[in-house]
Amino acid sequence: MLSFIGRRLLVAIPTIVLISVLVFFLQKLLPGDPVLALAGEDRNPEILEFLREKYRLNDPLYVQYFNWIGNALTGDLGVSLRTQQPVLTLLAEKLPVTFQLAIMALVIAVVIGVPAGIISAYHKGTWIDWLANVVALSGLSVPNFWLGIMMILLVSVKLGWLPASGYQPFTDDPLQSIRTMLMPAFVLGTGLAATLMRHTRSAMLGVLQSDYVRTARAKGLSEKRVVMKHALRNALVPVVTVITLLFGELLAGAVLTEQIFTIPGFGKLVVDAVFNRDYAVVQGIVLCTAIAFVLMNILSDALYRVLNPRMSDQ
Amino acid sequence: MSAPLLDVKGLSVRIAGTSRDLVADVSFTLHPGETLCVVGESGCGKSLTALSLMGLLASPPLSVTGGEALFDGRDLLQMPLDQLQALRGDRMAMIFQEPMTSLNPALRVGDQIAESVQRHQGVSAKAARARALEMLRRVGIPAPESRLDAYPHNLSGGMRQRVMIAMALANDPALLLADEPTTALDVTIQAQILALMRDLQAQSGSAMILITHDLGVVAEMADKVAVMYAGRIVEFGTVAQIFEDPQHPYTIGLMSSMPTLGQRVARLVTIPGVVPQASQMPPGCRFASRCPFANASCAKTPDMTEVATGHRVACWQVPLEAGIDQRVSA
Ligand SMILES: Nc1ncnc2c1ncn2[C@@H]1O[C@H](COP(=O)(O)OP(=O)(O)OP(=O)(O)O)[C@@H](O)[C@H]1O
Ligand SMILES: [Mg+2]
Repeated sequence: MLSFIGRRLLVAIPTIVLISVLVFFLQKLLPGDPVLALAGEDRNPEILEFLREKYRLNDPLYVQYFNWIGNALTGDLGVSLRTQQPVLTLLAEKLPVTFQLAIMALVIAVVIGVPAGIISAYHKGTWIDWLANVVALSGLSVPNFWLGIMMILLVSVKLGWLPASGYQPFTDDPLQSIRTMLMPAFVLGTGLAATLMRHTRSAMLGVLQSDYVRTARAKGLSEKRVVMKHALRNALVPVVTVITLLFGELLAGAVLTEQIFTIPGFGKLVVDAVFNRDYAVVQGIVLCTAIAFVLMNILSDALYRVLNPRMSDQ
Repeated sequence: MSAPLLDVKGLSVRIAGTSRDLVADVSFTLHPGETLCVVGESGCGKSLTALSLMGLLASPPLSVTGGEALFDGRDLLQMPLDQLQALRGDRMAMIFQEPMTSLNPALRVGDQIAESVQRHQGVSAKAARARALEMLRRVGIPAPESRLDAYPHNLSGGMRQRVMIAMALANDPALLLADEPTTALDVTIQAQILALMRDLQAQSGSAMILITHDLGVVAEMADKVAVMYAGRIVEFGTVAQIFEDPQHPYTIGLMSSMPTLGQRVARLVTIPGVVPQASQMPPGCRFASRCPFANASCAKTPDMTEVATGHRVACWQVPLEAGIDQRVSA
């Protein structure tokens, strides 16, 4: 298993290099001059030139790229053009926030989606299955921003149960931190729950028809054991893959929800950086997300092998 | 004679929403220790018969629409699920037609056997594992200690079927349903598995319903034979009665299609025609369209008539000799 992960990490290196090249050069192709954004009203050519020199924007592109990537390897992703803070510090600040949000959303998605999928597959074609599918479809169709706003209005404004915003670091006050993140996590999680439910349902439907489930019944096992042990073990294999990939997506995709609930995470960082042409920050974020994605992929394959004994001894 | 272990009367199976029976009015009895072979062409309802006894029909769409199956005097077809679950894997067990897919790919084979032992004997995990090991040894799996922790994909088809047999016999069932246990395996393995099943059966004294379409297997294993055609039993008798004095035109056809020893390469003499589809099953005798002896009377479903003690045939023309004599003299 370790050698499998090692091999996958080696293979991931070219992928990450390719991503870094794309990130860097696509960014340069975008219209707009960061120096202009930086200098604000002051269009004094000397100052502009000074800034260009300072941030080495006059070097040939490939030199700029190698500078950037070389520094990145030593953990230096440059400084924000806007706030002058090191990009790495910004990322280290925001990543745990988004991470917590993503984990909470995922837990909610799994807790709702997987059992719903199991139940609706087991009761295929009955009203239970029908109901679960209708709810799932609505979950998929309701836009997150709308659900978010509705929840704020209902749960915070009207009922006053949960705060509408205000982020609390987990390390300071875990309980309060979870409370403030509950609504955004729920908004993100319900959409994913629908996706997960449908994946679980279809995996389960296939497995419930299988010969080995019939064998389990022929042994006299209870339906609960047949479903939870013999069927689920096999149905989870593809579902776990989906879950890990969803997690990667969550890290990158919580932008809108973070905006609605004013959570100071990755999403807010990205939006601010893009609008201010803060190259260094955007590049750092994209690179970071890409690496997270690649790692999630490796994790998902590793889990797949753990769950699927046919794969693990190859 | 002792009371039957299994007494099936009028078993019928249907697909929901249709009116034709895939298994129609199947009746037979089985005594402790006996082996009944069920033979018939592919699709004639052999598996469905066995699965309905286990309560394992794929329902929906399939369901038992009539009959009873008394096992130890209790009707399997009406039994509440929890009572049926208590019997399955314990007093009666089944070996399936598909050894490659019938074991759970995600669980170790030792655990899969032990699970059944624990479920029915309520013993400790350790004792169940010891029993699993003993069973693997008994079914002739080499190096059984190391196979306990193997996954199904580590084993060949023949080995998997041995594991299935070990699992089925782990609780010494009174009735073993074996659905073509060797069809998917190659010829040398087939012989080994059959010999193994016969030995184990002799040791445990369990009764067996062995489904097959290989008459060689029937000759070797059976005490009694049920010949099925298109969902019905058309002839039932002892192995001697069926082989030496087949009465139903279909059975006679089957017998003549059986290659004799040393003649294996010769092409099988098959009965012309095909089994009618369930949806277009003719009323009356289902074999009539392929039967050289069919006449107007065959438009009615033939009754089972007893031609000798324990030898029953469902055919209007029986005894055939009389029919042929009549036609010759006419
Ligand atoms: N789940 C199902 N749904 C619909 N029809 C089915 C189903 N299972 C079996 N059948 C039909 O029932 C009939 C009898 O099937 P069965 O499996 O009992 O045949 P069999 O005698 O065991 O054949 P084989 O020798 O090929 O195993 C076949 O015509 C088959 O197409
Ligand atoms: Mg079959």
